Amino acid sequence: MTHFEIELERLKSVIIKIGNLAETQVSESVKALLSEPIEGKEVKKTESKIDKLDVKIDEICQSIFALQQPVASDLRFIMASMQISNEIERIGDLAVSVIKRSKNIKDKHDLIAKFEIADLAKQVELITIKTNECFLKRDEATIGEVFVLNNTIKKKGDDAIDGIIGEMKSHSKVVVSGTNLVIVLKHLERISEHCTNIAEYVHFMVNAKIIKHDKHEDLNL
Amino acid sequence: MKNIKIEVKDLSLYYGEKKALKEISLEIPRNKVTALIGPSGCGKSTFLRCINRMNDLIPDVKITGQMLVEGIDIYDKNVDVVNIRKKIGMVFQKSNPFPKSIYENIAYGPKINGIKAKNELDEIVETSLRQAAIWDEVKDRLGDSAMGLSGGQQQRLCIARTLAVSPDIILMDEPASALDPISTSKIEELVHELKEQYTIIIVTHNMQQAARTSDYTAFFYLGELIEIGKTNAIFTKPEQKQTEDYITGRFG
Repeated sequence: MTHFEIELERLKSVIIKIGNLAETQVSESVKALLSEPIEGKEVKKTESKIDKLDVKIDEICQSIFALQQPVASDLRFIMASMQISNEIERIGDLAVSVIKRSKNIKDKHDLIAKFEIADLAKQVELITIKTNECFLKRDEATIGEVFVLNNTIKKKGDDAIDGIIGEMKSHSKVVVSGTNLVIVLKHLERISEHCTNIAEYVHFMVNAKIIKHDKHEDLNL
Repeated sequence: MKNIKIEVKDLSLYYGEKKALKEISLEIPRNKVTALIGPSGCGKSTFLRCINRMNDLIPDVKITGQMLVEGIDIYDKNVDVVNIRKKIGMVFQKSNPFPKSIYENIAYGPKINGIKAKNELDEIVETSLRQAAIWDEVKDRLGDSAMGLSGGQQQRLCIARTLAVSPDIILMDEPASALDPISTSKIEELVHELKEQYTIIIVTHNMQQAARTSDYTAFFYLGELIEIGKTNAIFTKPEQKQTEDYITGRFG
């Protein structure tokens, strides 16, 4: 393996690491929303690890650009890595916001059950797993799965938000918890969108085509 | 219709029994820079020398196929080699000024071509040196020996000497490989400016130089043309795996 290939492998392993940490944070956020409050110390520790790795990725990419002048698939990998790391860091932040906000939602279980939020949260957990998988496998089928999951999450999220707003209109006592839940749902939708962005960058890595403003349905994945 | 300056059809070259170029077919567009890249011995310099029949000087060389410049096959029996080389100038890796004054280096070619009037020669010398971006550095010492110039200046002088006989095409065989980064950058900038008026073909081992200076890039390997395309496409998404492996340094 050349020195350059070792650097690329190092970058790849750091991305996998930060991806796994974000996956853990999302999984914890789902747990915090659906069942029990989460120990804040551990979450903070993971958040700080993610931030450090995000900076490390920038440093590795900067050094590769300056010293190796990458081209073709290597160039795309490094460009995508910088973007992916940025998206993962955002996923981590949103997961922390979900954990914090979930702690203070009183009587959330009735609303969660009524609007099938547990199912949606599980889908968000799944999309983060699939996103890491698509980076590892770099195959179009997994990229396609991420896009489909995102559509489902968006639909379910919007339906749940509509339902909660309706509930708040008729029962004023659920306004506080309903509002908090709407914010949490918006965070979960954003996590799903960041996952979709990552899948788009993986698509760019593999196919050299920028699709971030294209309709996914037209891609035949 | 594409604006093609040179069209190569099934060109093969043999050194005795050895086939050094294998059925090369490609088109070189007018007023663009085309870079030829590939590992040592891949045939890129041999191919470059085919364009102005420099290989004619090597014994046992046999060439088949066609090299059409402006539609005329330069290997046709009726074609005058001297005329071809007037129209197709060449700059080599090692700068090779004549051991004469700066002025004489530039005026030499036009004089051989029959230009005698001093004012006409003066004008050619100034224009050529200006075009080669060296006029300001030498205008006050045109009578000095060209051998006293730095390596980078000598190479630009050689480019000026090539321009003085009004060629259409300029062939460059690793023109900056022996130069420091500042001189290299001046040559690259010059190539960029010269393409307005000339069709340029450049052989380089420096991948970044090919990427920076050329509009089209052709990748040669073991005497074959593997791929030719827009430089932007070659360096972002080449069609062939061999090209990708070569430009990303994973060859062999």
